[in-house]
This record gives sequence, structure tokens and C-alpha cells, in this order.
Amino acid sequence: MQRIVLGVISALFVLLTPLTAFAQEKLHDPAAGWYSHFNLWLIISIVIYLVVTIPLIYFPFKYRRKKTNQDGAYIQGNTALEILWIVIPIIITLLLGVQSWALFTEYRTVPKDAFEAKSVAFMYGFEMTSPEGITTMNELRVPVGPVKMNLTSKDVIHDFAIPHFRVREDMLPGRTTYLWFNAKKPGEYPVFCSFYCGTGHSGMLAKVIVMEKNDYDEWVKKQKGASEAAAASPELMGKELLDKSGCTGCHSITGEVKMGPSLKGILGKKTILADDSTVTVDEAFIKEKITNPEAKRIKGFPPVMPPTQLKPGESEAISAYLKTLK
Amino acid sequence: MAEQPTGLRSWIFTTDHKKIGVMYLVTALVFFVVGLLLAAVMRTENLDMARKTIIIGPYLYNVFFTIHGAAMVLFWMIPVLLGFFANYMIPLMIGAHDVAFPRLNALSYWFYVGSGLIAVCGLILPGRLDIGWTGYAPYSLVGGANTAFYVFAVHLLGASSISGAVNFITTIITLRAPGMTWGRLNLTVWGLLGAFIIQLVGVPVLAAAVTLLLFDKYLGTSFYNAFKGGNPLLYEHLFWFYGHPAVYVVALPVFGIVSDIIATFARKKIFGYTSMVIAIMLITVVGFETWVHHLFVAGTLNWSRVVFMWATIFIGVPTGIKIFNWLATLHKGSIELTAPMLYALGFISLFTIGGVTGVANGLVGFDISVHDTHWIVAHFHYVLAISMSMLIMGGIYYWFPKFTGKMYNEKLAKFAFWLTLIGAMVAFFPQFIIGYDGIPRRYWKLPVEYTPHMRIAAIFSYIAIIGFFLTLYNFLHSAMKGKPASSNPWNSKSLEWQIPSPPPFYNFEKIPVITEGPYEYGKPEGEAPKGH
Ligand code: HEC
Ligand code: HEM
Ligand SMILES: [Cu+2]
Ligand SMILES: [Cu+2]
Repeated sequence: MQRIVLGVISALFVLLTPLTAFAQEKLHDPAAGWYSHFNLWLIISIVIYLVVTIPLIYFPFKYRRKKTNQDGAYIQGNTALEILWIVIPIIITLLLGVQSWALFTEYRTVPKDAFEAKSVAFMYGFEMTSPEGITTMNELRVPVGPVKMNLTSKDVIHDFAIPHFRVREDMLPGRTTYLWFNAKKPGEYPVFCSFYCGTGHSGMLAKVIVMEKNDYDEWVKKQKGASEAAAASPELMGKELLDKSGCTGCHSITGEVKMGPSLKGILGKKTILADDSTVTVDEAFIKEKITNPEAKRIKGFPPVMPPTQLKPGESEAISAYLKTLK
Repeated sequence: MAEQPTGLRSWIFTTDHKKIGVMYLVTALVFFVVGLLLAAVMRTENLDMARKTIIIGPYLYNVFFTIHGAAMVLFWMIPVLLGFFANYMIPLMIGAHDVAFPRLNALSYWFYVGSGLIAVCGLILPGRLDIGWTGYAPYSLVGGANTAFYVFAVHLLGASSISGAVNFITTIITLRAPGMTWGRLNLTVWGLLGAFIIQLVGVPVLAAAVTLLLFDKYLGTSFYNAFKGGNPLLYEHLFWFYGHPAVYVVALPVFGIVSDIIATFARKKIFGYTSMVIAIMLITVVGFETWVHHLFVAGTLNWSRVVFMWATIFIGVPTGIKIFNWLATLHKGSIELTAPMLYALGFISLFTIGGVTGVANGLVGFDISVHDTHWIVAHFHYVLAISMSMLIMGGIYYWFPKFTGKMYNEKLAKFAFWLTLIGAMVAFFPQFIIGYDGIPRRYWKLPVEYTPHMRIAAIFSYIAIIGFFLTLYNFLHSAMKGKPASSNPWNSKSLEWQIPSPPPFYNFEKIPVITEGPYEYGKPEGEAPKGH
């Protein structure tokens, strides 16, 4: 028995050796490291599960009671066996723990050349700011390569999760947290709020758009031109406000129903309120809805729209833009 | 011996540990039913992931998972174990007439009822609780919920838990019959002892945490308000300092009950009794050193996450010991597959799935990808929620002849077991896949591509829930109309089976003198046992 114990233990130590190699290798992509960590865990877990379930199913048949009140064998314990199933789990734990530690270090060590963007969460959306100072709502554009996100929140705790890159970190009011990921391929990747934050939690979605460096630079140039144009035209300012104030987190401009009704073609429409009265949507109604949404709730929707403070002229700009959506 | 009152008054004013135990059982089962019904509605809301209300909409979905979680953990699992099983079994197993403080015991029960009523207010009155069973600040401070419901429910329940813990720890230490040494205690008693120690240390911290919520929300303080110098992470730390050990409050007694059931139906001495006890006590202590795994992506210090990873994954070792000891107890046993035994074995298979995925969550690098996703929901329903609720059903069946004096319907019991097991095994598996894809939990609607996953989850949840309801029907029907049971139908060697069923008012006519442990099956005459 003792020989078996020793044999198993030394075999497991041999298994540990490649691990030290892993700890030193710099992957520069936590997501890739995550998959190999997962695979090791999965193999070990399947083996453990079989080791437990096979006897669990087999013993009751093999040792079925044959006569009433027949007793089982009188055995107190077996020191060698008990040591075996203390030592093997300890070794497995060390194995997984060391690998996880290395991976975690990777996750938390940001490469020096990372592109650095910022996101501020609010109920219910993400305001994103590029290093050039361009602010967008629920949409972050980044060039290919490592990206660091600085995260914070305006109100309650939220979370910034990008499943594709296997990263997430909470966004706390009053302090800044961070995460980084390696954006290898251009494309669109969904972002979720992964910390419960209220009625709009499941609608608090965004995306990261990874672009080739050239495309990104071009986009930056266009944005700078656009915000100058917006200053001149109320419609464009209204469109920007709708994004900036987080309205588009809950309202589409395409007719699709999200958390709230779509804002497409809303001006002049008749709307039924929660008390079953009907109103016609006009500029005044929109202004009141934005500053004091409690006053008139729309029937059939959850009462979650938050009040927003506007500067003079802003509500008119929003209405001007909404008129263009036919 | 005192005179025995009868009728309703005999229940309301009782200080008899057995009656109080039964009242705990009935009340806890009511909350279990509430929790199951809320779950059924949530699952129905999950049937289609298009963003349209099916029956409750996003706000009520959040209220439902809040009350579901609270009802299940705080008002079902903990009270049924530390209220019913502890009350009924501890005095019988250690050979005592009653608990150390019978009046305090009755008070604990009534605090629990009061707390439960407040929680029900949080479901039905305006200002419904939509803050999660965790009540995280700052959302619980700035949202529309009437957080006071939550705070006062936790306070009353805390008072109940602390007085219960004081009472039972004293009982176990001081009221053991002559000859009932520590080495002869049932593992159920050991498990309960561990759980009560955790309650005594942990609950005051939880009570403090929620008290600060109350101050912040209604008295203008700012312990958790980041914009006025407070710190929202403080709440998470304080909550999980108790919140994590709370899962061991449930798990340790369950481990004990599994051991008792297996010993009886394998008619075999528990393999490695001493290592079982050491494992229980290790878990009791180390359980307090793991809470930061709930804050693995919360902006906590990097090094602290690594330290708490080690503590968390090392808890797997004593837990593993217990599983292997159970298997070794089955080995060369004389096994009869009654309903309680099926539940014990089913528990081990579900719990092992939860256990290996729990190690994954404890691995800090792994967890970053699955934290707060459906992976976690799947994990804790396997490891704790479903597996342990099922085992509790097994425990009730096991002692059913003892506390009712009647026999349950074995055929129905087995049928319901298989329904629940198959339902539960399948129902939560799709959530591992959804969580592997990184999709967060507490979502009213997931991305539409998960509609098929959630339909499977919903259908098998219904099956599991029907299984539970059949089990409850079996309890109810058998308690009223079951065949009379003999005092020791399993022919167990444990002390509680050596007295009549149901036990007489003062349990033992004369306090017994104990000469051997509860698991001495097949002991050869006058021979020392093998091993050790
Ligand atoms: C948290 C989600 C949310 C946000 C953010 C939000 N709304 Fe709403 N909004 C709703 C919901 C839900 C309703 C319907 C229920 C109600 O009346 O409150 C609504 C209703 C409306 C209506 C009335 C629609 C109708 O059919 O008559 C208008 C107009 C409106 N919102 C404009 C805005 C504007 C402008 C903003 C940005 C300043 C905004 N909302 C931000 C959720 C939101
Ligand atoms: C068949 C039975 C059950 C079903 C179908 C079920 C279903 C669910 C669902 C759908 C959720 C919400 C998931 C989400 O959106 O994040 C949930 C959460 C939860 N369940 Fe269950 N559940 C069952 C039994 C139990 C039991 C017995 C317990 C006992 C401990 C339990 C404890 C919890 C907890 C603690 C939560 C988290 C609540 C929160 O996020 O605040 N469940 N369950
Ligand atoms: Cu959120
Ligand atoms: Cu925990």
C-alpha cells in the first residue's frame, strides 16, 4: 500500500514540472491562457467525477443487502488510503492553483504599449472615452492590439465584461479599476454589465468595435469634424445628446422595442398613459418626460426611466432630431 | 414530569424541543414552496428571450430572484437544518431530556416567524425588495426598494440564529449522557456543532453590515456612499464574511446527515470517523478565510485575490476527504436502497458536479471569465441549492418514522426522487454553457440565441419542481394516513432509534448510559476493530 502511495505522489510531481515552464512563459494574451487553464481543469474534473460516480453506482449493486439485518464488514479506516486521498487532492490543488496564479498575473499586468480608453457606467449605459477625448455611448472603438480600460461609475456598482476576451471587472463609484485585453482581430464584440444594478441591468449592453489602425485614425478624424458640425445644427446636437444622455440604452430609433418604447416617429403620435388616459406627444411632453419622467408613465412599460437635467435648448434639439425620424 | 398540554395552545406555548422542531419544519417547508413557485415563474419568464414580458417583466423578475434567494437560503435551508434537524435530533442523539434553554429555544422560533413575515412584506408591499438576496449597496440605498424590510428581516433572523447557536452549543457541551464521549457523537451532531459555531461568529457581522445600510438609507450617514467618503466595497466584504461561511452552515449538517444515512443503510461503521470530524472542524475555521472570492473582480487588491484563492481551493481537500470516506463506507457494506439512501447517493453525485465547478470558481484566473455569470447560478444550484434540498428530503424520510410514528410511501418516494434528480441534473446544465460564454446572471432576458438553452432549463426545472411537490405530498399524506411504524424500522444502532416513535415527552425515562458509538455495525464479539 505504502509503495502505491509513494508511486502516485512522485508521478504527480513529474506532472508539476511543465507547469513551472508555463509560469515563466509570457503569453501576452490572457484569453488564450484562460482556455488552456480551462482545459486542464476540465480533464482533472472529469477524472474526479468518474472516480466518484463509478463506485457510487457500482457499490450498491455489488454489496446489495442479501439478508435482513445483515451487517457490512467491520472496518474503522485505513491510514494509507486516507493519506492517499489527502495528498492527491493537495497536489491537484497546487497544480491548478499555480497555473491560475500565473494566469492571473498575466491578466493584471498591462503591457506598456496598451491603448488606453475609459468607461464611466451609469444606470443604464456605458459612456466611453477614447484617448483622443471622443466620447461615445455604449460603443467603444479601439485599434487592433492590447487595450487597457480604466473603469468607474457615476452611481451604483456596475461591471464591464467582454466575454469574447474573457475579461471583466467591476465599475465602482468613487474609484477607478482597470482591466486589459488583447484585441487581435477586427470585429464587434458585445459588452455586458455583469454586476446587478437594477431594473435596467439586463439591458445594459454595449459593444467594443476593434478596427485596423488606419480605419481607427480615419474614424477619429471624422468624429472631430462631426462635433464641430453638430454645434451648428440642432438636429445633429439632438442626436448626440440622445447618445450622450444614455437614452439610446433604453430607446431605439429604429422602431425596435427595448427597455422603453422606440422613439421613431414619436412626435405627433398618440400615447396611452399608465392611468389609461391618452396624450399626443409634442415638444412639451418630451421635455417633461425627460426632466420629470415620474409625472406621466407610459402604459405597459416598467417605470424605470430616470430623470435627466438638461441645459436650455437641449430638449428642443432632441425634439428637432426626433422629428427627423419618420 | 410536567403535565402535557394539548390543542393549539400546546404548540404556541410549547418549549418542547420536538414540537418546536416540527414547527420549524412546517414553516420552513412553506418558504420552500414559496421559493419553488417563484422559481417556476422566473423560468417561465425565461422561455423566450425576445425582450417582451411573458408574465412578470424586468422589475418583478428582479424582485422574484431576490425573494427566491432569500426564502431558499435564509428561510428554508438554514432553518430546516438548524431549526428542525438540530432541535429534533440533538437531544435524542446525545441522550438528553431537552435543550439547555428551552424557553430561549421557543423564542428563537418565534423570531424566525417574525422575520419571515417581514420578508413576505418585502415581496408584496410597495417598495418590494429588488436588491438581490445579497442586498448590495449602493443599489439597495438609491433604488426604489424599501431596504428596511431587508434589514429588519435579517436582524430578527439574526437574533434567532444567535440564540439558537448559544443554546445548542451549550446543549452539546453540557447535556451529553454519561458515556457519550466526543468520539461517540453522531456526525450529524458534529456537523450541526460546526454550523452553530459559524452562526455565532458570523451572524453578528452580517447584522452590523445591514445596520449600516439602515443608517445610510434613512439616517443620512455615508458608510457605503463613495461620493461622501464612504466605501461601497465595505458592504461586500462584511456581507460575504458571513455570506460565504453561511454555505457551510448548510453544508456541514448536510454532510452529517449523509453520513448517518449511509451508515444505517450500508450497515457499516463510518470509514475514517476521526478524519470526518477533523474535516468538519477544518471547514468551520477555513470557511472564514475565503470570502474575497466573491470579490475576485471587484477592484480588490491583486495580492489579496491570490491569497484568498489558496484558502478557497484548499477547502476542496477536506471536502474531498468526506466524499472518499463515504465511498469507502459503501465498500463491503450491506446496502439497502431505500428512499433516504437514494437521496444520499444522489446528493453525492450532484454535489461532486458542484464541487469541481466550485474549485474552478475559486481559481482566481479562471473566475475572471465566469464571475457573476450563469455558470455561478448553475454551480450553486448543484453544490448547495438542489443537492442539499434533495438531501434534506432524504433526511426527513429517514427520520419520518421517528418523528411521526408513521411510515411514508416508499414507492412514491422513489418515483419523486428520480423525477427531482433527473430534472435537476438537466435543468441547470445549460447554464454552465451560457456561463462559459460569459453571459451575466440576474438578467431578465439573455441574448436571443440562448432561448433553446433556457427552454430546456425551464422544462426540466418544472420536472424537478413537480418531483419536490410529490415529495411534499408524500410527507403530508403519510403523516396523516401512513401505516404505523415500529420504533426502529431501519434497525439502526444510533441512540435516537432506541426509544419509542414518536418519542415520549421527556424522550428518555431514564438518561441512558452510553457504551459504544452510533455506527458499530457488525462488530465482532470482543474483538478490536481493524485499522487504526
Ligand atoms: C432606464 C431606461 C431609460 C432611459 C435611460 C431613458 N428612458 Fe425614456 N422611457 C423608458 C421607459 C421604460 C419608458 C416608458 C415608461 C415610462 O413612461 O416611464 C420611457 C418613455 C419615454 C418617452 C415616452 C415615449 C412614448 O411612447 O410616449 C419618451 C419621449 C422618452 N422616454 C424619452 C427619453 C429620453 C429623451 C431619454 C434620455 C434623456 C430617455 N427617455 C432615457 C426608459 C428609459
Ligand atoms: C427547481 C428548483 C429551482 C429553480 C428552478 C431555481 C431557479 C432559479 C433562477 C431562475 C434563479 C435566478 C437566476 C438569475 O437570473 O440570476 C435562481 C437564483 C437563486 N436561487 Fe434558485 N432555483 C431553484 C431552487 C433553489 C434552491 C432550493 C435554493 C436554495 C438555496 C436556491 C437558491 C437560489 C439563490 C441563492 C439564487 C440567487 C438569487 C440572487 O441572485 O439574489 N434555488 N434560482
Ligand atoms: Cu448592471
Ligand atoms: Cu463563497
